[in-house]
Amino acid sequence: MDLVNNLAQGFGVALTFQNIGLCFLGCMIGTLIGVLPGVGPIATIAMLLPITFGLPPVGALIMLAGIYYGAQYGGSTTAILVNIPGEATAVVTTLDGHQMAKQGRAGTALGVAALGSFFAGTVATLFIAAMGEPLTKLAQLFGPAEYFSLMVMGLVFSTVLAQGSVYKAILMVLLGLLLSTIGTDLETGQERITMGIQNLSDGLDFTPLAMGIFGFAEILRNLDTPEARDVVRSAIGRLLPSMAEIKQCIPPVLRGTFIGGLLGILPGNGAVLGPFASYTVEKKIAKDPSRFGKGAIEGVAGPESANNAGAQTAFIPLLTLGIPPNAVMALMVGAMTIHGIIPGPQVMTKNPDLFWGMIASMWLGNAMLVIINLPLIGIWVKLLKVPYRMMFPAILIFCCIGIYSVNNAMEDVLSTAFFTFVGYLLIKFGYEPAPMLLGFVLGKLMEEKFRQAMILSRGSFMTFVERPVSAVLLAIAFGLLIIAALPSMRKKREEVFAE
Amino acid sequence: MKRLLGAVIGCVVFALPAFAQNYPTRPISMIVPFAAGGPTDIIARIVAEPMSRILGQQVIVENVAGAGGTTGITRGAGAKPDGYAIMMGHMGTHGVAPALFPNLKYNPATDFTPIGLAAGTPIIIVAKKNHPATNLKEFLAWAAKEGNKANQAYAGNASVSHTTGILLGTMMPGASPTLVPYTGTGPALNDLVSGQVDFMTDQIVNVVEQIRGGNIKAFAIATPQRSPALPDLPTTKEAGLPQYEVSAWNAVFGPKGLPADVTAKLQDALNKALDDPNSKKRFDDLGGVVPGPDGRGGPALQKLVESELARWVPAIKAATGKK
Amino acid sequence: MSDQGAGEHKRPMGLTIPVAQDIAAGLFLILVGGFFVYQGRDLPMGSLRAVGPGMLPRAVALMLVVGGAILLLMALLDKKAPRLPTFSYRGPFFIILGILCFAFLIRTVGLVAAGPAAMIVASYASSETRLIETAIFSIIMTGFCIFLFKYLLNLPIPVIANYW
Repeated sequence: MDLVNNLAQGFGVALTFQNIGLCFLGCMIGTLIGVLPGVGPIATIAMLLPITFGLPPVGALIMLAGIYYGAQYGGSTTAILVNIPGEATAVVTTLDGHQMAKQGRAGTALGVAALGSFFAGTVATLFIAAMGEPLTKLAQLFGPAEYFSLMVMGLVFSTVLAQGSVYKAILMVLLGLLLSTIGTDLETGQERITMGIQNLSDGLDFTPLAMGIFGFAEILRNLDTPEARDVVRSAIGRLLPSMAEIKQCIPPVLRGTFIGGLLGILPGNGAVLGPFASYTVEKKIAKDPSRFGKGAIEGVAGPESANNAGAQTAFIPLLTLGIPPNAVMALMVGAMTIHGIIPGPQVMTKNPDLFWGMIASMWLGNAMLVIINLPLIGIWVKLLKVPYRMMFPAILIFCCIGIYSVNNAMEDVLSTAFFTFVGYLLIKFGYEPAPMLLGFVLGKLMEEKFRQAMILSRGSFMTFVERPVSAVLLAIAFGLLIIAALPSMRKKREEVFAE
Repeated sequence: MKRLLGAVIGCVVFALPAFAQNYPTRPISMIVPFAAGGPTDIIARIVAEPMSRILGQQVIVENVAGAGGTTGITRGAGAKPDGYAIMMGHMGTHGVAPALFPNLKYNPATDFTPIGLAAGTPIIIVAKKNHPATNLKEFLAWAAKEGNKANQAYAGNASVSHTTGILLGTMMPGASPTLVPYTGTGPALNDLVSGQVDFMTDQIVNVVEQIRGGNIKAFAIATPQRSPALPDLPTTKEAGLPQYEVSAWNAVFGPKGLPADVTAKLQDALNKALDDPNSKKRFDDLGGVVPGPDGRGGPALQKLVESELARWVPAIKAATGKK
Repeated sequence: MSDQGAGEHKRPMGLTIPVAQDIAAGLFLILVGGFFVYQGRDLPMGSLRAVGPGMLPRAVALMLVVGGAILLLMALLDKKAPRLPTFSYRGPFFIILGILCFAFLIRTVGLVAAGPAAMIVASYASSETRLIETAIFSIIMTGFCIFLFKYLLNLPIPVIANYW
């Protein structure tokens, strides 16, 4: 068996004393930095990149991968505890995760996130080891037209995130799309709606927008309603999920792993859709969808598994093709290049120690995360006991430093202040920020892919339905839209999914 | 308010004696005008490490990305000329920018103290793997025949693949490829590998492994000599397009008015960093070209900036104006 | 700016506008969409073959205007539509002022001033805040941040601007 041999070789590399140590250290530091509100995985990796310089290449990459997993998981912790997503994929976790925390179930949420992620990571590692290569070829079927259709599907998903009015959620998606058009036009280099502000020329960054609209606006909401936040302090509840809760989470974790893993392979940052898709599925097939957004455990278990599976399989295009599918992976390419390994299709054959060592270290990293984080849950939950009057200035200062350090620009901090105000308005107007953030994230990709597809087809809309993969995706999106629009179909739908 | 004032006074007092003879006495920040992980960032980090050792103070890479690198360079140009803020400029920011950014807030030729060329990454003409042409001549004929049916990818406005791609277009008789924009090298390369687009130009470091792995084919490298990283790849001169000679060079600049002794110290550190065997190996791995003795130092860099401006600005202005 | 602040934080109440929530919400989107249409008025639409920079922003902005208008009209017709909640002054004012303090002090004076200033100002967003406690806490936190980000991680964050 090739797979067994390869994995054995990989574990042979990863399980040396030094590499285990580096993996542990990476996960640990990644978690501790990534948990700071306002510091997402990209910022964490960029911050920690230089500390790996002195290490041998394989060790350095194992440590970096550890930092990545740690940061990713640390980001979920922040999303659950203080409702601040460090990156787009953590947005979903805030919805039910933070509600659980408010109900005193922070420990359960964190525990489920850790265990679900571990399971998803294990499956994804095996999946990469066994199927990495053929799957890459599958992903190559995706051209601009297919991506565009995938994004359309994603936008339809996003309306399901809404707890209140679906109509208002659609408006928020549109607002997100609109905000994503700010900045220099990709093709002509014309400045769009930048009002002559130089810092807008590259468009709005996700971090200031998310921190403002989610993080700081949440603080404002809490300050407006002191009763709500006191709940967080009074009841802590149990630290780990109960057996019944774990059992309840098994199907969502399985589904999330599958969805996230699949989307993660796509080279155009498909991983970002994973948690959203998983949440959509869980909410749609739940017996009582109204629980979602109010602390439904499946709303944490599914998306967190999808998130971690996607984070894992996002390595596939990088390791087998040498093409980074998203910003985090681009940073990994940079790190590998600095260590003299330029990722490409030959890494696997020319540098098998590195290739399989990294894959083995993925599993190791996931195991470390559980080991590190289960004990830490107690500490994180205790942090919630800090009086709110001291907690929010602390959150504020971490966020400011985090935002500043992404581009070393005070202008980013200024724009956060602006979006804090906007976020406050949105809350008062009864708009939910999650669909807007998804619209924003997908908007950039969507316009790019739309225009590429139109250029390549020389202006024919037919390209979206002539290409089979694209047509299927559009059909799914269309179907979902109809289901969402016709609540009367609900009964029938439940029967279909009930098996 | 008092606290604020105190801090202001404090830092003025502290800053005074820190100047002059025993430079550097505190960490130096090197602005890289692109996000972490890209070719310029990698080159900056490779030289920053030995420079820190040689200068006895940390050289910290500070990524200030935006507007094709001009945001970071604008900030660097306005920094205090004390040697504690230097920057890694590059072909785009100091050669092409005036043509693409009409509101550019600095003059590449006059607003800087040139310290020295660091390393360049040669440009390669690459195509999808089942492209009908087998060499550059056939490719040029193909491009002329296809006209606007040919699809050329590039990594977005003002990127290296954009400007070098436009330049290539001006040198291909009869060709008028349709330009397809992407938001970065990764997505563009992905669609080249999967055959959605026909060809593009890019820096060797981005494409070398794809060429070696046979995922894409390369026609020529736009340098006078072949690259040790791809010894079988002919140069544009050998392959029949001698006028297409481009390299994405990266160079260290200080703000205008850097004291001569500080400049000399930095130049010395940069030269030693380039000769450091460890960084040499790293440059070789990624196909980077380190300048020879006559290409180093401030005057050589100043000459390079001026000749690049003279070459790029009219060419890009003409090409984009026509479009 | 501090004069205004002193007046603000003694006022316990907020701004209440007696309209339906969706009237304000719809109006907001109409304004935002209109603003984008106006700002992008000079952008070329392009053709289908070469989609121009103006196409997507304008299309989406117009959809927002229409969508906002529908929301507004529905709310006008619905007599029982929920009211717009009260906007408080204190929270938004001090939080945003705190962020601004950080933004303007970080490169001019450095983290030594930006950290405590941002935290102390922002803490006034809550009426439970005690000055001494916050001041001490902010200095400890700033020290921790300097240790973590500057000393351990070596980030280019100015602790004392132009010096360290």
